Amino acid sequence: MRTPETRHSLIVRLKDQRNELAWAEFVCAYEPFLVRLVRRQGTPDRHIPDITQQLLIAIARSVNGWSSDGRDASFRRWLGRVARNVVIKFMTREKKQITGQGGSDFLQLIELTSDDTPDEARSQQYEHELILWAAELVRSEFRDTSWRAFWTTQVEGRAVADVARELGVTSGSIYMSRSRIFARIRAKISEVLDDSEQQS
Amino acid sequence: MSSCDPSLLPLSLEDRLSDAQEEFLTAHLSQCERCQRELEHLAGQPQVWSRVSTALKTACAGSGEAIFTDESHTTEESESAADFAVEFLSPSTDTESIGRLGDIEILEVIGHGGMGIVLKGFQPELKRLVAVKVLAPQLAVSAAARRRFAREAQATAAILHPNVMPILTVHSTGKLPYLVMPYVQCESLQQRIDRTGPLELVDILRIGMQTANGLAAAHAQGLVHRDVKPANILLEIGVERVMLTDFGLARAIDDASITRTGIIAGTPQYMSPEQARGEPVDSRSDLFSLGSVLYTLATGRPPFRAESTYAILRRLTDESPHPLREIAPQYPAWLGVLIHKLLEKQPSDRWTSSTEVAQLLEQCVAHIQQPAVFPLPAACQVAKPKWWRFSAARAGVAVVVALSLAMGMMFLPPLLRKNSRLEPTMATTPAPAPPPSESGGRQPPESPTPPTAPTTEWNHGEESLARLRKDLDSWTRDAQQLWKTPK
Repeated sequence: MRTPETRHSLIVRLKDQRNELAWAEFVCAYEPFLVRLVRRQGTPDRHIPDITQQLLIAIARSVNGWSSDGRDASFRRWLGRVARNVVIKFMTREKKQITGQGGSDFLQLIELTSDDTPDEARSQQYEHELILWAAELVRSEFRDTSWRAFWTTQVEGRAVADVARELGVTSGSIYMSRSRIFARIRAKISEVLDDSEQQS
Repeated sequence: MSSCDPSLLPLSLEDRLSDAQEEFLTAHLSQCERCQRELEHLAGQPQVWSRVSTALKTACAGSGEAIFTDESHTTEESESAADFAVEFLSPSTDTESIGRLGDIEILEVIGHGGMGIVLKGFQPELKRLVAVKVLAPQLAVSAAARRRFAREAQATAAILHPNVMPILTVHSTGKLPYLVMPYVQCESLQQRIDRTGPLELVDILRIGMQTANGLAAAHAQGLVHRDVKPANILLEIGVERVMLTDFGLARAIDDASITRTGIIAGTPQYMSPEQARGEPVDSRSDLFSLGSVLYTLATGRPPFRAESTYAILRRLTDESPHPLREIAPQYPAWLGVLIHKLLEKQPSDRWTSSTEVAQLLEQCVAHIQQPAVFPLPAACQVAKPKWWRFSAARAGVAVVVALSLAMGMMFLPPLLRKNSRLEPTMATTPAPAPPPSESGGRQPPESPTPPTAPTTEWNHGEESLARLRKDLDSWTRDAQQLWKTPK
């Protein structure tokens, strides 16, 4: 299902080598998210790799439009913004269109510049998708007990003391685990979402 | 209630606390509400916390995504393992057998791992017991997993060595591919440590030597194992034989057909730093993993531990393991030297090959059994102090410091008095020391045996030197700080 070949076809040539590296890293981090998102949008399985690739190409094309504003890590921030806009545009489109073939029409539809401002609801939806994706990744990084401590107290809202008793751990370790998990989820999200988004 | 230590909180978020700090903070957090709040605030602002919680709650309510609840992984796997036998095996006339697979009567399920399950079987025609490793049904549908499984067969079939578990036959075309191996009564090294805790010195050396020999056979074929860990090292029961198994991740060094997928392959705790970074690896990566295994055998725990895989990977790449001798002072200093050289971050700083490691370990085994006949291999002697390699200017400073420090230290005068002979520092115990134990067994740290063999004695001098070097290093750092011109 995963298509590592995609990355080779998406090598971009940038003046700054560091930006090329940033792009490569971005694709590595972002592609799994895209696959998940495309699937959740109701795309039939056989079209998922294709649509994912189209989205990455759309993002890659926009890379050419980038010029440095001299700020630190601005390429990465900008990349995050373009990606978000491409994805939101994609989510906005009718379901019947995305199930179809790719091609240049598709590219035109989702190709944008970083100036486009998507509507609030879609931005929320995008963030929602990112959170789910990040949580799924982080879940596999932690021990079951830690994750359960996080989930039951933070998501289900149960009392720390009760859960501690149930899991046979101290409440201190629950505070520790769930903060760690939360910090990791946040870090995962900020890998693809630019910083200004994070703080808002 | 213990007093607050705010500096621990950010470290805790990154999972970088030492064991003692972790223990302290966990206990403290159970009582201190202020630190609880502070820690959560450091992890993220309240509105971000609530946004994440809300998103997860709605996702869960909406589609009932099993992925976030813990029932998802564990139960699913064990269920499929049970169902699997029924579906996969054909009925047998043999009452002992639970089913038939090709020409093999399957007797029982021995265990299951990440890739599939292992069954015990009997081949009536050949009258032999076999172990059958079957690829898990959920993996058999994946072409990548099938390829990996086939690769294990090819990789292992290419190696014929007493310390590598051989593969008798492969069936890779059926619905569920499987491998047939000889049935050996064994326990994994992981099971052994879980059962007994840290091992005796001589056992560590012997197991290490045989594992290194098995690796050398693989490396000679251009194969890197990539997943050397206690669970993949089998100990034959009743015989002192070690067998390396599970070449599932093994890959020829020049095999470019498989692209990196970003999926973590291998067991994080025993990975090499280059593996953790996803960089290309060669045989020296296996040496690092072997170092982690030996460290675990000596201390009972892997050198790099943390709550999450991510934190483990970062420790692997960024942090030095805790000096072996501080955790396990009962072993001789040279064991630490040997193991820590395997655990060097830079592959070029490690021992050069598995063959070299196997030879060194063999010499060490000989040495602890007959110290008078077999000297400790020179390479395992406690290394030259690091400041030896300093630039001339710093070395100059170091020498001055060394002299002034040494004058004030107790160990130097006896050292000088006895001209060329180095006496142990606790020379006040004149009782004739017993010879080093035949088994190389661990001695309780509180009553160290005064060493008698020349090599051990020399070690002792080296140890004092190492301690001196430590002081020196910190002093040099302080001095550099001191001399830095204020801005």
